[in-house]
Amino acid sequence: MKILEIENLSKSFDSKFEVVSGCTFNIESGNICAIVGESGSGKTTLFRLIAGLERPDRGTIKINGTLMSSDKFIKDVKDRNVGLVFQDFSLFPHLTVKENIEFGLKKNKNEKVEKLLETIKMENFPNRYPHELSGGQQQRVSLARSLALDPELLLLDEPFSSLDTQLKSKIRQEIRDIIKKIGISSVFITHDILDALEIADEIIFMDNGKIIRQCLIEDVFKEIKDEKIQNNMVELKRNAELILNALKNK
Amino acid sequence: MFLNLKHFKRDFNKWTLLIVAISLFLAIPVFSILISLFRGSGEMWEHITSYFLFDYIKNSTVLIIGTGLLTFIIGTSAAWIVSRYSFRFRKIIEWLLFMPLAIPSYIVAYSYVGLFGNGGTFINIFSNLGITIDRIEMMNIYGLIWVLSFSLYPYVYAGTRTIFQSFPSQLKHTAYLLGVSKRKYFFSIALPLASPAIIGGLFLVFMEVLNDYGAAKYYGISTFTTGIFRTWTALEDLQSSIYLSAILVILVFLLVLIVKWLKGRRSYSLKKTNTNQKNKNYRSELKGLKKITYLSIVFVPIIFGFILPLIQLLIWGIQTFDSMFNSDLISLAYQSLMLGLSTAMIVVFLALLLIYLSKWNYFKPLNVFSKVATLGYVIPGAIIGVGIIRTSKSLTDLFSFHYDIEIGHLIYNSLLVLIYAYVFRFIAVAFNSIEGNTLKLNENLSESSYLLGYGKIKTFFKIDFPLLKNALLSSFILVLIDVMKELPLTLILKPYDISTLAVRAYEYAEDERVGEAALPALFLIFLIGSMISILNYRLRVNKD
Repeated sequence: MKILEIENLSKSFDSKFEVVSGCTFNIESGNICAIVGESGSGKTTLFRLIAGLERPDRGTIKINGTLMSSDKFIKDVKDRNVGLVFQDFSLFPHLTVKENIEFGLKKNKNEKVEKLLETIKMENFPNRYPHELSGGQQQRVSLARSLALDPELLLLDEPFSSLDTQLKSKIRQEIRDIIKKIGISSVFITHDILDALEIADEIIFMDNGKIIRQCLIEDVFKEIKDEKIQNNMVELKRNAELILNALKNK
Repeated sequence: MFLNLKHFKRDFNKWTLLIVAISLFLAIPVFSILISLFRGSGEMWEHITSYFLFDYIKNSTVLIIGTGLLTFIIGTSAAWIVSRYSFRFRKIIEWLLFMPLAIPSYIVAYSYVGLFGNGGTFINIFSNLGITIDRIEMMNIYGLIWVLSFSLYPYVYAGTRTIFQSFPSQLKHTAYLLGVSKRKYFFSIALPLASPAIIGGLFLVFMEVLNDYGAAKYYGISTFTTGIFRTWTALEDLQSSIYLSAILVILVFLLVLIVKWLKGRRSYSLKKTNTNQKNKNYRSELKGLKKITYLSIVFVPIIFGFILPLIQLLIWGIQTFDSMFNSDLISLAYQSLMLGLSTAMIVVFLALLLIYLSKWNYFKPLNVFSKVATLGYVIPGAIIGVGIIRTSKSLTDLFSFHYDIEIGHLIYNSLLVLIYAYVFRFIAVAFNSIEGNTLKLNENLSESSYLLGYGKIKTFFKIDFPLLKNALLSSFILVLIDVMKELPLTLILKPYDISTLAVRAYEYAEDERVGEAALPALFLIFLIGSMISILNYRLRVNKD
């Protein structure tokens, strides 16, 4: 069963060059997929197209078999049942932790919020405001807010980029545990291949708006033909120990 | 291609239609003037070009240059001193420097004649001291430049002060370490960095000068605005007044182009430094002769722009209190306030609507219509008034000729038409201020709300509105002040049974009963001064 099906998806701004160009790929249900690419490779735009925050020039997007957008049709963002955790977490500054998490809920608010606060280990801070939380706590609240509506697909935009190195490794594992515990299909974008190696089940490499390779995590180092990935490998070998640990944890 | 029609069916929504409809409705006076140009000139046009047009062009140009130069000097020097130096009562002085905005320039003009004219207060004081001095002739173009400059410099002062206060101390230290002198730092670094704010402020000054009717008329200076009035009322030639308006519109757009060219492509933004570093603007202590000189520089505009006119008005106000303080005055104050409050409410609502419709509309090129709707601020009130009269005439003719229905009484004596005119004239004030604040809001916040199942309108009320409350209040007060001070548009379009404090003060002064104009003027100043104080307080609370 495929959770996400993208076909020939393209997007340009001001009719100039295509930021996302003819992307085609599928993601299996229940997997965590990482989209890896350098800055400007088009991964954020691809993400926004999936979420419905941008309108594609051409191509189709299907989530769980349902058509989200095509040349003639576009499903509104609010009706897509997609969760998105922004890079800057984007918590509503005038609402408390509890109010942020229950924002999208229509019923069973208390029950759901309590369960999510427990999942993200924030039971003691329901009445704090975002500015009273650490970066890691803000991220977990943002994740809980996105999970509150039981989305079919969870998108995470550079989830670890604003964390320092020490915290990063801990948060990576925490996020993976939460996602796996809930069992939701997830896609995250990152420029750091180590993020992908540590928590993803499969990886998509993007460059200049195009998908250049998609593979399962265990196949990353097999049959590498692409020069960009090979260059990354040189960089990666310097961090061999981290990679080995990451692979061992899979 | 202007519009991508490939996705028309998919991307077209009700917001697209609404933005075009509202913008076109608001901009009717401009289109009306443009269309009228093709009807040919009026009967008096030749007479006007032969005898008056040169004077209109010459006087308006001299006024713009003279007032521009003086407001630049007063506004930037006062802004620099209060931003860079520390002295006692600085915060009060910062607030007092805004206060000339509370007195409409035409009222300052009347008070100067009372101060320095024949038998004026100033002359009498010297005469009582045994010193005989000649009256100071104010009722000429130089007097008008003086009056307008001391009345309008806060437009330059406000933005420039904000920029000067945002300079991090590292900027000054880096310059001094590079061997730059204080004088060079001011002229080569501070002034160029503040130039967008200075140019923006000067542009507002130019618009106010071109919009002025009361002061120029009282001093007997022929400008475009007084010319438009005279052509329409005394010469009874609406078509020629439209021709004059069109020339003024061209002049205004030339000014807009010059301002754009002056701003250029250069970047003037100061990047935020590391958040761990204190980005504080340290003030130097003023001492000795420098203190006296600098304090004199900040007190001169306060004295000439606020204190002296206020003293003269108070003297007149006390002299005429018994005859002038009555229920009629209270009723005028009430009408002014109600007009201002209702207009400000509509303006803030429409400005918000236009800003959010532009955000929600997927045909981005069509957002240009929202800019057309905000042209009112660069078009003098007299022109908007004439444009509305022209439209009204076309509408009444149409109904009368085709349907035999007389609707003139509904349009010419309607409060709705006056409020509509105010809305078009002042919507830019609210639009620019609110738009600036919406741009500061993180776009991801509303996008998060959409992703959590909320629609655009609910997202606006739950997320954007609470975060924009202060900006909305500030815009509301700014529009309220502008409406209460407005004169030419009100004179042209007000219903017979409605008046405002501004109009009443003008009518008395025009009638050579300038002393009796004082109490309505004082009431107006009190109301506007209270609004400015609330605004100043809100800004300070926000900053804290």
